[in-house]
Amino acid sequence: MSERIKIFRWRAIGPLLVLFVIAGVLWWLFADTIARHESQNIGTQLLGAKVEIRYLHLDLAHGDVTIKGLTIASPHEAFKNLLQPDELVADLDMLPLTEKKLVIDRIVANGLRFGTPRATDGRVPAESGQGIAGSVLAETRAWASRFQIPVLQLATGKIGVDSLDPRRLSTIPAADALGARADSSRRAWQTAFDTLRLGPTLDSASATLERLRRARATDLATINTARQTIDRLKRARDRVATVERNVKTGVSQLQAGLAGLDSARQRDYAFARGLLKLPSLDAPDIGAAVFGPGAIKPFEQALYYAKLARRYMPPGLLPRAATGPSRVRRAGETVRFPKERALPAFLLRSAELSFLGYAGRLTGLTSDPALYGRPTAFAATGPQLAAGAMLNHARSIPVDTAGATVGAVQFPAFDVPGVPLRLDPGAATTQLGFNLNGDTIHARFAIRSSNVRWTRDSGFANSAIGNLVWRAVSGISNLDVETRLSGALEHPALAVRSNLDQAIAARLRAELGAQVAAAEKQMRARVDALVNAKVGPVRARVTEVQTQAQTQVAQQRARIDELQRNLEQRLRQLLGGVRLP
Amino acid sequence: MFTLIKLIQSLFGALHSEGTPGQLAAGIVLGSFLGLTPLVNLHNAIIFAALVLLNVSFAGGMLGWALFVPIGFVLDPLFDWIGHALLLDVSFLTPLWTSLYNMPVVPLTNFNNTVVLGSLVFALVFALPLFFVMRWGVARYRVTIGERVRQSKGYRTIMASKAYNVYKLFKP
Repeated sequence: MSERIKIFRWRAIGPLLVLFVIAGVLWWLFADTIARHESQNIGTQLLGAKVEIRYLHLDLAHGDVTIKGLTIASPHEAFKNLLQPDELVADLDMLPLTEKKLVIDRIVANGLRFGTPRATDGRVPAESGQGIAGSVLAETRAWASRFQIPVLQLATGKIGVDSLDPRRLSTIPAADALGARADSSRRAWQTAFDTLRLGPTLDSASATLERLRRARATDLATINTARQTIDRLKRARDRVATVERNVKTGVSQLQAGLAGLDSARQRDYAFARGLLKLPSLDAPDIGAAVFGPGAIKPFEQALYYAKLARRYMPPGLLPRAATGPSRVRRAGETVRFPKERALPAFLLRSAELSFLGYAGRLTGLTSDPALYGRPTAFAATGPQLAAGAMLNHARSIPVDTAGATVGAVQFPAFDVPGVPLRLDPGAATTQLGFNLNGDTIHARFAIRSSNVRWTRDSGFANSAIGNLVWRAVSGISNLDVETRLSGALEHPALAVRSNLDQAIAARLRAELGAQVAAAEKQMRARVDALVNAKVGPVRARVTEVQTQAQTQVAQQRARIDELQRNLEQRLRQLLGGVRLP
Repeated sequence: MFTLIKLIQSLFGALHSEGTPGQLAAGIVLGSFLGLTPLVNLHNAIIFAALVLLNVSFAGGMLGWALFVPIGFVLDPLFDWIGHALLLDVSFLTPLWTSLYNMPVVPLTNFNNTVVLGSLVFALVFALPLFFVMRWGVARYRVTIGERVRQSKGYRTIMASKAYNVYKLFKP
């Protein structure tokens, strides 16, 4: 009898227990380090910028986490931090951890600092474009790049139109197409006339008229023939009328084509004007050119965080997939399955922030707003600061609102695009209003400063237009810029207004108006010279085709009418008013 | 190099151990779970405990693990696809996943990750065929060339290595 094989290997319990004890000891020794590394990795992945932690201590017995030396880099600026708290203490709810859910009852952050410099580039997905943060960053960059900011180009040399390439003018191909259409119409109408076969009908009617003139009232056969001929003439006239209608339609299309040539010529004027790089003399264009590039950045950044919030805090309770954890094996996707009346995967009930005499409070930050049921709210106040934000994703259409007024913000000096000038706004008051309701955006960004300083680039000291703009703005010490964005998120309208617009525009108009007008006249003449060589013959051909077709129709119709009238008149003479059956 | 030697030792150690072909095949199947699924997950702790506590070939388990790790890497796209289909495309399973996701402990297994679930389901489906094929293969090996290999100089050299002693601790 064979020995029965045992199912359990009891002697292995000891080594297994030892293994578990070793694992427990290792956890106890390295839990803080592991948690620190994991927090750094997850934070970096979530925010799209490096998150660094100098010290992290887990006190699971009391449900406390203490973090010191936290640095969150800016995802938008290479060598700048987004925020840096001195110390952060979180009070965790331990029970949800068994469901792999992180519920933080309260966070207290002390010594927050914003925008501090850093030694290395902290932007992580900016290069790779991977992950949620990376894709959102790429989306918002693409969104910002779609704005067509007019360029304030101040030509310093001779204005010329030598670069005008006739192949890039739209009037010439349009004229060619119209000429071909005129030829086609001419052939079609000629074919229509030929198929009318009016010659035999008219010849027969002329012969009948001759016979009728010699006939007497008793010559019933001739009279009947005359009546039949009149009927044939009426039918022929109907056919001519049909052709006439076709000709009228075709003529109106050719006329529209001629009008289209005029529109194309206007577009070509605009295109050629762009080649001249003439300075814009319109105030709104100048405002957009000078402040547009800088003014879009706050909107781009606000949109980045709003979109990030929408991706991490989506409305509704549908399963949500996100990129899985980084590991040697493929990350895959990790799917969350929110359930009514269950805890969210992440919830920060309340956070209290304090920084340099300012105080802030954040409530209801959660991964599942539909479960939490209330919007995420943020408010901060202090000297020269009032800020608030609300992310309402509890309903099906998310609404994200933010507003801030910050005084005495020291903006860095910047080069005014296209002009050899540098503007230092000094200490300014800024206002940002942002509302993203579903896919509709309304945003406003304003800067006000009363101690603006201007400096000019010495390399452009001899630039006439540089001097011109310098004279226009150097005496202005106030700056008041307002940028507004409104409309559908994909195609919002951008409006930039500033007190410098009118000043620069007026000065430019006064000094450059005559020069610009002369250059435009020269440019128009060049376009006309190129275009007229094509458009003139086409216009003549269209007119000829129209006239020919209309004349042909009129002649045929007149001939038919005349014959019919003569036949009817002769019949009346013969019959003397007697109606025959 | 050391890994390769250990793998070869593991292979021959398992094939010539005193365990039955069934014990060896069961060990390989458990090891295949460790190799096919991403290692750092709660279910693998249970698999490892089973490999240690159950009277199956531990060497077979190590062999299965070593053999199936590269296969796991290669099949990751397939696991991702299976997991994605099960978690997101099969709608009647959604209530099950929702319940499991909101239970204590279960989410710690990372079952809601497409690669983890896909590889685990694949390993489960693959387990029985693998068991029978391995049991048949080991039996055939032992009755055909097994004894000749045992008597060979190369086998004795490999088995003389001290590292082999580690495996002997858990031999069935």
